[in-house]
Amino acid sequence: MRPRFFAPFAVVAAAPLLLVSARAQTPKAAQPSTTPQAASPQAAKPPAASKWTPPRTPWGDPDLQGWYTNLSEDGTPLERPDQFAGRKLEDIQGAELAKIKEDIQKRTITNFQGPLHAPEHWWQDDLNLVKGSQAWLVVDPPDGKIPALTPQAKERAAARAAARRNSGRGPADSWTDLTLYDRCITRGLPGSMMPAIYGNSYQIVQSPGFVAIRYEMVHETRLIPVAAAGKEPPPHAAASIRSYMGDPRGHWEGDTLVVETTNFRDESTYRGANAATLRLVERFRRVAKDRVKWAVTVDDPDTWTQPWTFSMPLTMDDSQPVLEYGCHEGNYGLRNILSAARAADQKAAEDAAKK
Amino acid sequence: MTQTSLRSVAIAVGGLVLAVAPAWAHHAFSAEFDENKKVMLRGRVAQMEWINPHVWIHLDVKGPDGAVASWMIEGGPPNALLKRGWNKHSLPEGTEIVVEGYQSKDGSLRANGREITLADGSKLFVGSSGAGEKPATEK
Repeated sequence: MRPRFFAPFAVVAAAPLLLVSARAQTPKAAQPSTTPQAASPQAAKPPAASKWTPPRTPWGDPDLQGWYTNLSEDGTPLERPDQFAGRKLEDIQGAELAKIKEDIQKRTITNFQGPLHAPEHWWQDDLNLVKGSQAWLVVDPPDGKIPALTPQAKERAAARAAARRNSGRGPADSWTDLTLYDRCITRGLPGSMMPAIYGNSYQIVQSPGFVAIRYEMVHETRLIPVAAAGKEPPPHAAASIRSYMGDPRGHWEGDTLVVETTNFRDESTYRGANAATLRLVERFRRVAKDRVKWAVTVDDPDTWTQPWTFSMPLTMDDSQPVLEYGCHEGNYGLRNILSAARAADQKAAEDAAKK
Repeated sequence: MTQTSLRSVAIAVGGLVLAVAPAWAHHAFSAEFDENKKVMLRGRVAQMEWINPHVWIHLDVKGPDGAVASWMIEGGPPNALLKRGWNKHSLPEGTEIVVEGYQSKDGSLRANGREITLADGSKLFVGSSGAGEKPATEK
């Protein structure tokens, strides 16, 4: 078949160089609805005063089931930015919060402009960061900062860095030098629940005795055994049995699903925690028809001087179902990273030989 | 088209030297692709690999000497493209396109795609900012 050249280079060259597709650009008709709850400045406040009663499953548990997204929280920092020193998270609401989110949106648009990126307001508007509901995520300690590391945690971090530094390895000598995320294996926990550059949909499904949580990015599903109301969950697996996402057990405290996860692996442990002693306690509470408040307490006395908690809303949105994301299906990126590193090695060797 | 002649095309269209890497893939752009190796390819789609985590478009590019080079062009994540109005049939085999992108660091005939222009001049993935208001396959 003879190619028919059709676009003069001059014309094409004059066109802006644009990002192929950075994030999901949802057609207008499918834009997430702006619900009063999702956009409300009250989102970060405790839900205790809510008069809304969550529906129940046929077997009587609070019903959390549905499609959710946390896309709009992508720009929310984990810790309190220094500019808010002395302020309380719940006091940053209304126009002030709206301005913060607008600034984040503008900064994102600006960062992605340029020849390698997209023109302004191309896909960036779809991020909807202006709908973000909090100025930061850490809710405890009240100062919004992650507590100090223990001395032994600092020693572990230093030892890891030194081992890497002294290993003589390059950044991509082998696939094992790349992250579990690069390798399409896992983002760990709570990593797999956190906003990403695309694929920010969740699905929660319940059955008697189980809650399943699926997240689109890397497509991990957590299957959580949940005790019936008033019952104790089954014990955790033996300490020798560890997994990337840990071993979860759930129970209900009123309308709140409490999930305690332990038995992590060193490779996927959160923020350098001791995988053997890390305990994550999540709380899911449906506080509105279209919103679940999700909070995670990070407890590892071997790593932090005190437990700490962060929180963010999960917004129900039927227009954002979890789509297939078989990350291993064609992860050519890993091959390309390794071959790029080998090309760099060869060039370095050739340069050295010339000297 | 040989790699060398493609580089000359890149120079002809400006040879932009770019300083900022995008963050749209979950792999770092700079670990795979060379922002100083801008390429512009004209050819026919040999295959659209609608695969995760990113689609890959196989493109037959005919050089001035008549030799056909087989390129692979990385696109966006299928789920993101789907939400933009794409599907795996959007670029049937034989479709003529122009691709602007950046070549892989290892020098192989692979590139990270930036923009695709169809024979009728319409753009895929991107275009003018106004085109973003419509599904990507619409003019």
